[in-house]
Amino acid sequence: MTNGLTEKPDTMAPGMTSPPARTRRYFLPPRALWAYLFVSPAILALLFFTAGPFLFTLWVSVHNWNLIEPVSQMGFVGLENYRYLLTDDGIFRHALRNTFVFTICGVGVNTVLGLLGALLLNTRLRARVFWRTLFFLPMVTAPLALGMMWAVLLNKNYGLINTLLGLLHLPPQPFLSSPAQALACIISIAVYQYVGYYVVIYLAGLQGIPEEYYDAAAVDGANRWQTFWQITLPLLRPVLLFIIVTNSIGALQVFDVVFAATTGLAGETSGGGPAGSTMVVVLHMYNNAFKFFRMGRATAMALLLFVIIFVITLIQLRLLRERT
Amino acid sequence: MAKPQWTVPAIVGSILKYLALILAGAWMLLPFFWMFSASLMTSQEITRLPPPLLPTQPQWLNYVDVARVVPLGRAYFNSMLVTTLSVLGILFTSSLCGFAFAKYNFPGRNALFMLTLASMMIPFFVTLIPVFYIVKQLGWLNNYAGLVMPGIVSAYGIFLMRQFMLDIPDEFIDAARIDGAGEFRIYWQIILPLSGPALATLGSFNFVGSWNAFLWPLLVVQSRELFTVPLALNSLRTYGMEAKFLNLQMAGTAVSVIPALAVFVALQRYFVQGIALTGLKG
Repeated sequence: MTNGLTEKPDTMAPGMTSPPARTRRYFLPPRALWAYLFVSPAILALLFFTAGPFLFTLWVSVHNWNLIEPVSQMGFVGLENYRYLLTDDGIFRHALRNTFVFTICGVGVNTVLGLLGALLLNTRLRARVFWRTLFFLPMVTAPLALGMMWAVLLNKNYGLINTLLGLLHLPPQPFLSSPAQALACIISIAVYQYVGYYVVIYLAGLQGIPEEYYDAAAVDGANRWQTFWQITLPLLRPVLLFIIVTNSIGALQVFDVVFAATTGLAGETSGGGPAGSTMVVVLHMYNNAFKFFRMGRATAMALLLFVIIFVITLIQLRLLRERT
Repeated sequence: MAKPQWTVPAIVGSILKYLALILAGAWMLLPFFWMFSASLMTSQEITRLPPPLLPTQPQWLNYVDVARVVPLGRAYFNSMLVTTLSVLGILFTSSLCGFAFAKYNFPGRNALFMLTLASMMIPFFVTLIPVFYIVKQLGWLNNYAGLVMPGIVSAYGIFLMRQFMLDIPDEFIDAARIDGAGEFRIYWQIILPLSGPALATLGSFNFVGSWNAFLWPLLVVQSRELFTVPLALNSLRTYGMEAKFLNLQMAGTAVSVIPALAVFVALQRYFVQGIALTGLKG
């Protein structure tokens, strides 16, 4: 069955799928071996680098392990790692709180600012592509590089932002070196980096709204405000849902920007400073794993965060989809 | 859209609109401006309080000096090699697998597709430690294989390619088969050329992601000879903690961000397409 000509036209399913009845007795549909060959590189790599490691993470999370001793000699500790994280590990609780603050503020600001930016770009405008490119530049720049640039800009002594504040006769701020302001700085760096991405998504959504709706609204005498609330926003609902869900998933895993903007500052070597005010879960996990070699705790932490992300995503999907 | 009306509210609205855009644009450009400006200052200028906005005399030699502090040339070569291999790997495995998912019928197809979708939901940090262990056991720490191999597959890429290829008419494939083309040749000569936009989207995203990757190379690489650009930047960062070296640090940063920016400006259309695609289908 390698030649399509031998099949009767009326038995030919779309594609090269169902073979004529005569060959059904055989074990495999025609060309199935080719298909297996084609999927095998990707599937093997997925099994080896994603699915397998996921199961291994589950396994390690109920053991004590320092990465060096042989896997067969890992000490089984049951749920001790989870118990420790949830009841005894003050830094984990603190990191979780910071991660939530980062996520809620970051997602909130991105969702609103992104929409405002897209509404601006969706009007009659000169050089729209230029503006869009501008919004997008930070998104393709390495988070590490951006973290470094902002760390310099926000430096309390020689940072440009304080110079600008001085020009406005405002007092200089400590920014990243103050436990009270550091997390807000991290959030604004992250917003700076990703808001352009959401502008582009919103823009695609806005341009997908048929012009007729607006014409009809205009005929009915709706003003801009009404048009926005009655037409634009409801029709953007799927886009809004996508943005909130994906942005939350990403924000809960924040690492690079914190690492770049806070390690090495004022002698902090493990990041998350000053005074742990910007410690986030993935950074705490990283430190546990690769600074203290507590793999059990680190994997348990990874899985807890994974479950948290999963549950939050489900809740968001439920809440936001309900009314459509 | 309504025709422009030169009434007072319309003009005021227009001015406010451009004012908002200019402010937003300035915000976006500020770090880049400062990076570039600071990279051309002398050590005296950059440590002055408050620092000047622009260097009095651009110090282009900073860009030469920075290469003496960290092996930037070597890091560039490493990043190019690793990024190219990862991107080609992802394009190959994703398109081949997506092709099979989209155009073949075989037992276990749905199960394997579900596996792919499930893998898409597992964030990288969850598998970080086991993947590190696997790479270590394979002896791939501190070599190119360790940098490239774990990123050779993308569940999202498979999904994207499958979705795109579902829309390619089966008639193309049937016709090729009648002409006696083999299965791999159909993939290589019919399907791949028709999948250009999806490949460009996937490729450009992964180029940027791989070029900017930091956490994984930080774990895998130990020797300076294998530094990728972000790692070189990271060692500049600890070096630049002394304020007088900030100019060199910013010069290094400027050099490091250029390739990803260039790829983006060149392939902007595919970025936007890809984002719109994921955004609207998701």
